[in-house]
Amino acid sequence: MAKGIKDKVAIIGMGCSRFGERWDCGPEELILEAFIEALADAKIAREEIEMAWLGLFYQEQSAGKSALPLSLALRLPNIPVTRVENLCATGTEALRGAVYAVAAGACDIALAMGVEKLKDTGYGGLPERTKGTFDDLWLPNATAPGAFAQLAGAYAAKHHVDMQDLKRAMAHISVKSHANGMLNPKAHLRKEITEDEALNAGMVAYPLGLMDCCGVSDGAACAIVTSVEKAREMGYTEVVTVKAMQLAPSNGFEMSSTGWDGSYLHTTRIAAQRAYAEAGIKDPRKEINLMEVHDCFSVTELVVMEDLGMSAEGGAIKDVMDGVFDRDGAVPCQIDGGLKCFGHPIGATGLRMAYELYLQLLGRAGQRQLPSPSIGLTHNLGGHPFRNVASVSVLGLHSA
Amino acid sequence: MSYGILSYGAYVPSFRLARSVIADAVSWAVPGIKGLAKGERAVANWDEDSITLAVEAGRNCLAGFTQPLDHLQLASTTLPFADRSNSGVVGDALLCPPDLTTEDLGGSRRAGSSALVRLGLTASTRTTLLLAADCRETKPGSTQEMNYGHGAAGFVFGTGEPIAVVKGAASIHEDMIDQYRATDGDYDYALEERWIREEGYNKLVPRAVHAATQNAGLELSEIHRFVMPAAVAIVKGVAKILKVDAALFVDPLTTQVGDCGAAHPLLMLAQALETAVPGEKILVIGFGQGADAIVLETTARLADLQPTHGPGRYLKARRVLDNYTKFLALRNQLDLDFGLRAERDNRTAQSVFYRRRKDITGMVGGRCKSCNTLQYPRAQLCVKCGEIDTQEGESLSGLIGRVKSYTEDWLAYTPLPPYIYGNVEFADGANCMLEFTDFEPGQVKIGNAVRMVFRIKDFDRRRHFRRYFWKPAPIPAAAD
Repeated sequence: MAKGIKDKVAIIGMGCSRFGERWDCGPEELILEAFIEALADAKIAREEIEMAWLGLFYQEQSAGKSALPLSLALRLPNIPVTRVENLCATGTEALRGAVYAVAAGACDIALAMGVEKLKDTGYGGLPERTKGTFDDLWLPNATAPGAFAQLAGAYAAKHHVDMQDLKRAMAHISVKSHANGMLNPKAHLRKEITEDEALNAGMVAYPLGLMDCCGVSDGAACAIVTSVEKAREMGYTEVVTVKAMQLAPSNGFEMSSTGWDGSYLHTTRIAAQRAYAEAGIKDPRKEINLMEVHDCFSVTELVVMEDLGMSAEGGAIKDVMDGVFDRDGAVPCQIDGGLKCFGHPIGATGLRMAYELYLQLLGRAGQRQLPSPSIGLTHNLGGHPFRNVASVSVLGLHSA
Repeated sequence: MSYGILSYGAYVPSFRLARSVIADAVSWAVPGIKGLAKGERAVANWDEDSITLAVEAGRNCLAGFTQPLDHLQLASTTLPFADRSNSGVVGDALLCPPDLTTEDLGGSRRAGSSALVRLGLTASTRTTLLLAADCRETKPGSTQEMNYGHGAAGFVFGTGEPIAVVKGAASIHEDMIDQYRATDGDYDYALEERWIREEGYNKLVPRAVHAATQNAGLELSEIHRFVMPAAVAIVKGVAKILKVDAALFVDPLTTQVGDCGAAHPLLMLAQALETAVPGEKILVIGFGQGADAIVLETTARLADLQPTHGPGRYLKARRVLDNYTKFLALRNQLDLDFGLRAERDNRTAQSVFYRRRKDITGMVGGRCKSCNTLQYPRAQLCVKCGEIDTQEGESLSGLIGRVKSYTEDWLAYTPLPPYIYGNVEFADGANCMLEFTDFEPGQVKIGNAVRMVFRIKDFDRRRHFRRYFWKPAPIPAAAD
């Protein structure tokens, strides 16, 4: 029986570009910005990288399809490069590809790069996209806020919560993430907001106001991975290793059957249970020290707390209001500012989350450093609550 | 068993624009228009056209009607496609059998009334659904903008237990161009009203009426009610010439709906049938480059179809449209800046549509023979039990749904913001994320019951194409 990925692969270098409206550069420059940092961090030469994975979602709006955007941008020496795309889990999927290649013994050192250049569309929000030749014939041309807004309504209806109480908890989440983002020089939005500002922001898609939505930005992040054995040979004594990488896509259950009430994220629950099993985590709320979850919208973060087993079902509002997920709470969430303050360059996001865990675990997070965390979780949710791809990964310290 | 009208139905879209709203907006330039500013007119939503209006009228015609259709006719001067069977789309939306013959009728405002005459004069064992719909766009500031409305009506002709039988009919053609629209023209071009009244209605209508009553072997004095789409002044003149009481002419729905073109004689007849008594003789007149006249007599069976089949309930289920620019924008007469998101390319992969045409036009999902779960869209594998090739086609278009979740999206492009969509639950396990229509902001609530309506999903302006699909809409209150 397969033993899973736990402690087989070490991350020996990471890089992350500054996120934001990077009018000054294209995807190639963002890639290079993240790569230079990672290469220096890993203290290896570019030629030592044997394989690479590129995560890029909106190829039409930015760098195009295939391996070429990465291979060309870094002038890689014709090594194998694979481009992956899996909605908002794209960045994490690039990392999974590189991690699996190393674990399989196909190579010693692999690169995972995620990038997205969203701000060349000429308008706000995520770019318009087709949902496929058949789905375009019948499925609403839903936006992300419109699709996620429905989580709030369904959650309030299910748990008999007053929408104002839910909105206040959602506002708390946004206020918390902005306070965290203030401390992060690489974040896009570095401005504190108040609960009133969040509650009174203009409506984007009922009941989500502007301050319930994450930003839209450009960015890139990357990781250089190797086997734990190789890391030891390279002289590492304590490394960040991958404890679990799990993925759960929808199969039609949510949208097409009565079994789902629209108030939770079915695939996140499945991916989380698998990840906890792979990582050997029994009690996530006690064992996990920090989380970077997919807070594309405030309500997503709230609902995900229950789906990840951090809050009891129906208990997320209370936990959020009690500060459980604040920077000084029991399980700090979005300590880097999250999607809320980094924005969501799709291909880069999963690796940006891993980057924050990596810094925190190694005690290199500067002003926002948490007291000695040893294990953290990242979560991505691609698509819409009724049809999506969820990924849950666990990273932690390991004695090489 | 005899030949005649077996069923009828009508539809009027819910938006109503007070004519004073038009006058307030344009009378600075055309002060004469103030004289027409009485009552209100029906306005189709942005996602309605002659095809969708006809589908809704057709659904009402077929409600409770079990005889299979052999033939479907769609009469209109505003058919959206010059080469694509418009009646074929309607037939697919109405889930008609594949051996149905279909026919598009156009070319004149008399397209509907002429078809009535022809069906009336040709008794057949074939069952025909005649639908007439018009959705004429009008030039801002024109009298047509004031006078026109949007609507549809239909009649099933065939052999069975008729609600009305045809006593006689006649049709005359004269190339009197009182108004016209060229195939490449956007709007009707109308001539002086006095000339149309005196040379047109006053001379052509009596000729057709006398020919029809002669054909029926009846005296004019035996007619109980007259249906003629025309302004009150014209009606008075024609009544005087015919030597009949003008009060026998039924309400032309001017103040509530407006003139629905090829559909209007049929819509007025449907309205008359809502309140008709058995044995009533009704004479229906159509006018435009000649005139049609058909004499009908109602039977005792009529009561079975009253009052739900007529336009009455739609006259009650009205939504006020109080903004002139909104009216123009809804009808694509005003190119509002909806931002860059509106530039989305809606090109259709026609081979995909062809493969899934029943699923789209008929909202045909699948019912799993193994676990009985209904699902949309259908797929080879059941969403519930995973069995392969167990699904039989079954339409969801007639089902009542329940709103599970929804949003009002101000970011997504729609011609009528906000873009409202949500997850809707149907009987036997079916669930679907769907775009809503005809709801006002704030009107949708979780748990609402909704009915499905056939509407335009989106336009591909670059390629002059439009796509249709089904949308949840409010359930209109039953007529009382």
